[in-house]
Amino acid sequence: MSNVLEIRNLTKKFGDFIAVDNMSLAVREGEIFGFLGANGAGKSTTINMISSLLRNTKGEIILLGKNIAKSAKFAKSNIGVVPQDLAIYEDMTAYENVSFFAGLYGLRGAQLKERTVEALEFVGLGDKHKAYPKNFSGGMKRRLNIACAIAHRPKLIIMDEPTVGIDPQSRNYILNSVRKLNDMGCTIIYTSHYMEEVEEICTRIAIVDHGKIIAEGTKEQLKAIITDTKDIWIGIKSEDEIKVEPLKQIPGVASVRVEEHMVMINSKAEVNNLNLIIQQLIRDRAEIRSVEEQAPNLETVFLTLTGRNLRD
Amino acid sequence: MDFWTIGNKAGLLFYVIAVTFFGDSAYSPWLTLAYLGYLILNMTIAIFKRKHPKQVFILLSAACTVFCAIRLDPLFTLLLPVNIYEFVALHAKRRRYALAIMAFPAFFVPPETLPIYVLTTFLSFLLYAGNRVHMDRLKAYEEERESLRENIQRLTRSLNENNEYIRQSEYTIKLEERNRLSQRIHDEVGHAMAGALIQMEASKRLLVSDSDKASELLQNAISISKEGLERIRLTLKNLKPRSEELGINRLRLFVDELSAKHAIDAKLTYDGDLDVITPIQWKIIQQNATEAATNTLKYGQATEINFEVTVLNTVIKAVVADNGRGASKVVKGIGIVGMEERAATAGGTVIVDGTRGFSVTTLLPYGSRA
Repeated sequence: MSNVLEIRNLTKKFGDFIAVDNMSLAVREGEIFGFLGANGAGKSTTINMISSLLRNTKGEIILLGKNIAKSAKFAKSNIGVVPQDLAIYEDMTAYENVSFFAGLYGLRGAQLKERTVEALEFVGLGDKHKAYPKNFSGGMKRRLNIACAIAHRPKLIIMDEPTVGIDPQSRNYILNSVRKLNDMGCTIIYTSHYMEEVEEICTRIAIVDHGKIIAEGTKEQLKAIITDTKDIWIGIKSEDEIKVEPLKQIPGVASVRVEEHMVMINSKAEVNNLNLIIQQLIRDRAEIRSVEEQAPNLETVFLTLTGRNLRD
Repeated sequence: MDFWTIGNKAGLLFYVIAVTFFGDSAYSPWLTLAYLGYLILNMTIAIFKRKHPKQVFILLSAACTVFCAIRLDPLFTLLLPVNIYEFVALHAKRRRYALAIMAFPAFFVPPETLPIYVLTTFLSFLLYAGNRVHMDRLKAYEEERESLRENIQRLTRSLNENNEYIRQSEYTIKLEERNRLSQRIHDEVGHAMAGALIQMEASKRLLVSDSDKASELLQNAISISKEGLERIRLTLKNLKPRSEELGINRLRLFVDELSAKHAIDAKLTYDGDLDVITPIQWKIIQQNATEAATNTLKYGQATEINFEVTVLNTVIKAVVADNGRGASKVVKGIGIVGMEERAATAGGTVIVDGTRGFSVTTLLPYGSRA
């Protein structure tokens, strides 16, 4: 897999303040790359530099093998940005909005019409061509915003907090369209401070704090930084018949503790042994009431590494 | 500075002479005398180093120009501003009034020379003011250079001294260690070996006459030797420090000292399997902790400082956090950059956060056991 985007030693200073600090990373083709970090960690600054809205203080950004500082036009036609703050014109129709932005990227004539219709269709606004965004809900505005960014079919789509302040339904719709875009061959950079979203859709994740990448990898790799075990708590009706030894023989199980109405098992995180454990408990005639798996999530990873919450 | 003044005067004098020469005013030998007189007086100014003789001659020269201007040629007034500036410039504090004082004679100058007088005054003043600014800057640079040079010298000296000290203490420590080792081997093993030797000698003599006794003695010798061997093993094992203890103990020592010497409550906590931390990583942790603690003491206004070393699954985390005033925007100084560089040598990163007190987190990766 080749790198769609490569960032080398990227630095952005605002006076004395260093917003992005010597950041290096590579986004491979076909990835949904997540940028996870608290507000003010430097995510948007990085995005703005990639989309040439901000000039970097140091370092280089290479898109599809070309340095964007030297080939700005090439970069712009291959990147689609869905900015954090809505960038649509309220008094132009949905169709005009998308057509306007696609026109900026150089589409003309029949192709422009075709792609505009296609983009609106894609975000589920196919029946709203003539409607004005001022009458749209927050989620619809977001979707229109996405349509504006994808009409010119960029290789790389950057979504900066696209789900802030919208209803759950629109949120799901957006997450699904991110997956669909990815299936269609787009590489996506997705920034968010919602850990659940990033964990749900991203194939690789960089945790950013104070302008630096402090950890990078798949969500499994990130979780493995903290621990390679998980706790499985199984609530049962009566613990009298439970035998500890057979449970310990199950692959991956490190320790077993039986308490009142509860079996607590500590197991290797990567081994999928819940089935075997439950089968064994059923053989012991345990009446299972609840099963709870306590594995670390990305929030815990962030908290453990930085000592702070994502949403402070 | 003097050269510029002389050059300026020469230029002005030349102008005055040229105007008289090409102009239509009557030639008079008195004029030549006046030029020469002015020349002599002004050359004399430059000869003296002290302030007062300089002032006397400057005044004389000024008086001369005024006299000549009134009696011979009004153009002589052009030479006046330079003398006035010279006089004023000797008093550093009055320098800013120089232009006003230089412009003052303009009231007495005949109207036809007035424009050229004002022009000369203005240009001379600009020349000197500009010159002064550059001279001051040069002087400042010179001073800075001097102090930097002294600094370098001082640091080089202390570096040399430290190197020498390190060399010496290394040597002393080696000697001490060798002494200690030989002492222990002598005390614990030497005696046992000597005993075994005697018994073996005895058994050799008894081998023919009393084989039972001999075998008994030999058995004794064997067990003594065995014990001796075990002792050697133990001695060597006890002498070898466990690297993990070195690291955490050093850090604890540092934390205790911090508590004792400064008005700050310092605590150390650790968690996880410290054995995985290599000596190099301990060094980085220790140095970063020292640096962070120094920063806290200097700027933090904190009453508490917490040190924490945690070994996670693939990362070692070392945190120094205080409860001081922190910093809403962290500006990276040499200290923080140094910590980052140290961490980077081991593939790690440093997070500096000033939102709740000040905290420095060093993250170092290590090869997971899994």
